[in-house]
Amino acid sequence: MRRMLNLIQNENMKIFRMSTYIMLGLLISIVITYGFISKNSMQRASTSTNIDWKTQLTQQNTLMQKALKQVQNQGIGAEQSSAAFKKIIKINNYRIEHNLPPEQGKTVWGFVMDLSSAISLVSLFSIIIAAGIVAREFDSGTIKFLLIKPLKRWKVLLSKYLAVLLFALDALIILFIASFLVGGIFYGLSGVSEPYLGFSNGNVTEINMLWHVFTIYAYACVNLLMMVTLAFMISSVFRNTSLAVGISLFLMFTGNVLVNLLSQYSWVKYILFSNLNLKVYTDGTPAVKGMTMTFSLLVLAAYFILFNVISWLVFIKRDVAT
Amino acid sequence: MQIKPIAQFKNVKKKIGKKMIIDDISFDVNAGEIFGFLGPNGAGKTTAIRMLFGLVSITEGEILINGFSIKNDYEKAIASVGGIVENPEMYRYLTGYKNLVHSARMYGNITKARIDEVVALVGLDQRIKDKVKTYSLGMCQRLGLAQALLHKPTLIVLDEPTNGLDPAGIHEFRVHLRMLAEKENIAIMVSSHQLSEMELMCDRIGIIQNGKLIDIQTVNDFLAKDKAVRVTFTVDDVTKAKVSFNKMFKEQETIDKEDKISITIDSNQIPDIISAFECEGIRISGIDKQSKTLEEKFFDLTGGSGIA
Repeated sequence: MRRMLNLIQNENMKIFRMSTYIMLGLLISIVITYGFISKNSMQRASTSTNIDWKTQLTQQNTLMQKALKQVQNQGIGAEQSSAAFKKIIKINNYRIEHNLPPEQGKTVWGFVMDLSSAISLVSLFSIIIAAGIVAREFDSGTIKFLLIKPLKRWKVLLSKYLAVLLFALDALIILFIASFLVGGIFYGLSGVSEPYLGFSNGNVTEINMLWHVFTIYAYACVNLLMMVTLAFMISSVFRNTSLAVGISLFLMFTGNVLVNLLSQYSWVKYILFSNLNLKVYTDGTPAVKGMTMTFSLLVLAAYFILFNVISWLVFIKRDVAT
Repeated sequence: MQIKPIAQFKNVKKKIGKKMIIDDISFDVNAGEIFGFLGPNGAGKTTAIRMLFGLVSITEGEILINGFSIKNDYEKAIASVGGIVENPEMYRYLTGYKNLVHSARMYGNITKARIDEVVALVGLDQRIKDKVKTYSLGMCQRLGLAQALLHKPTLIVLDEPTNGLDPAGIHEFRVHLRMLAEKENIAIMVSSHQLSEMELMCDRIGIIQNGKLIDIQTVNDFLAKDKAVRVTFTVDDVTKAKVSFNKMFKEQETIDKEDKISITIDSNQIPDIISAFECEGIRISGIDKQSKTLEEKFFDLTGGSGIA
């Protein structure tokens, strides 16, 4: 156990080098830049319209009601879109009743939620690190230096995998803290205790905002974990940094396109990328009709085990002859 | 002194596809000796060393270190081995010191004092806080050695250790290894394709060719075993000398050109030849004796093939 901590410490020492600090710096500067942009555009919006949010929401609701009627006459897809409209109308009414202004882009939590899309950037960085962490040792020949020590290979591999996950966790914490701080500076902390309005079974529910943000992060982490594990496997199999980074990023960017292209086939639901976005099961539509949360979790678990077994077998069994 | 085997190769074989890379190799490396592993490029030296370190799997046979099997008891076996495989590859973007810390953490029980001790031992104190990418090859080699010594191993394995060192560096390295073997009673295994170097550095030499271990001898035996030397006489009448040789050593081949004639004989026969020449009135103006070097011995054994 102590030895494992030592190994992870070693991996951290190798991960946290100049290029990694640049990646993390980029992440923070994106948060700050977004802070300026959103503040700026909000100010412009409020000066031009100059109406309070309650009036805005009421206006929005009247428009929604009209749209709802139109949609209901259409037939195809009516069920889904009318449900979405009804949900927004109900939440808006709840806000007006309970005096809860919309958080989007106007409170610290709104800012944090907006920036949760930057988790994909954390994924990108983590994938780059995962794709390099095994392959780079082979590229530089240091794998020999690493594997002639009195530690079984699986321990070395595990330490690398854990180090990548720790890096991803670090980056997520940095993103969260940075967006909370920047949001707090730009929008103040007055709205910090306001709840998030969820919607379940036709009723509006108040949810603790920190918990809500946490679930957004958690959903994104499923995607991150799977892609990092995939990149780690590619790294272990190909033993070449540029190839591993290239393939991993290619898959990251083309995964959803692939699912769209193949959406006519029913087996597309077994593809990894069709199951990565678990959030669709709470508010959205899955890639293939009839897919459920349980189904996706099972598929993901199967891929997770497969990727790890492959990287494990290849790393442990194959000769180091470079 | 009692001979204590530290590393034992027992009928080790490595097969890749249908090709035998290592074909039934057996030998011991004993405490306090420097064992040279000699062979042309591609003969299987590095593969054998990689097998010892567990980098390459063993198809058949066994490698034991202090009695522990590399195959079945890897962590215990390798715990007392230090070494460099091929080049001393380090993390170039880290300092020399951090590289040593990296190793120390993997062994688990190495103090800061011990790190400083090995740094001083290999003479890197001045540059240890610099990044490895600023090091010369010789300094990398020293850092590699420091890393190999960190955990006080009983066996040190060095693959082509003098590659890229200048003559002064090689000399220093040799002195260093000798000290480790004699003072600390460490077993040292060194591979090289440089014969002259092995002659100076090693106690025993194993010659490997095409994956087979073709000979193991002490360096002294190796050179002394056959006392045959090639002697070249510079004479005034080569034809007469040749007739004289034919009388003395039937069936011995002579090589003659212009005023020189050469023959391979036992060195204690030289006086006989001189007196015989004198009797026949052949004037000798020069004698040149060439004892076989390790190099020639090596080519004799391997049949002169350079790269297998």
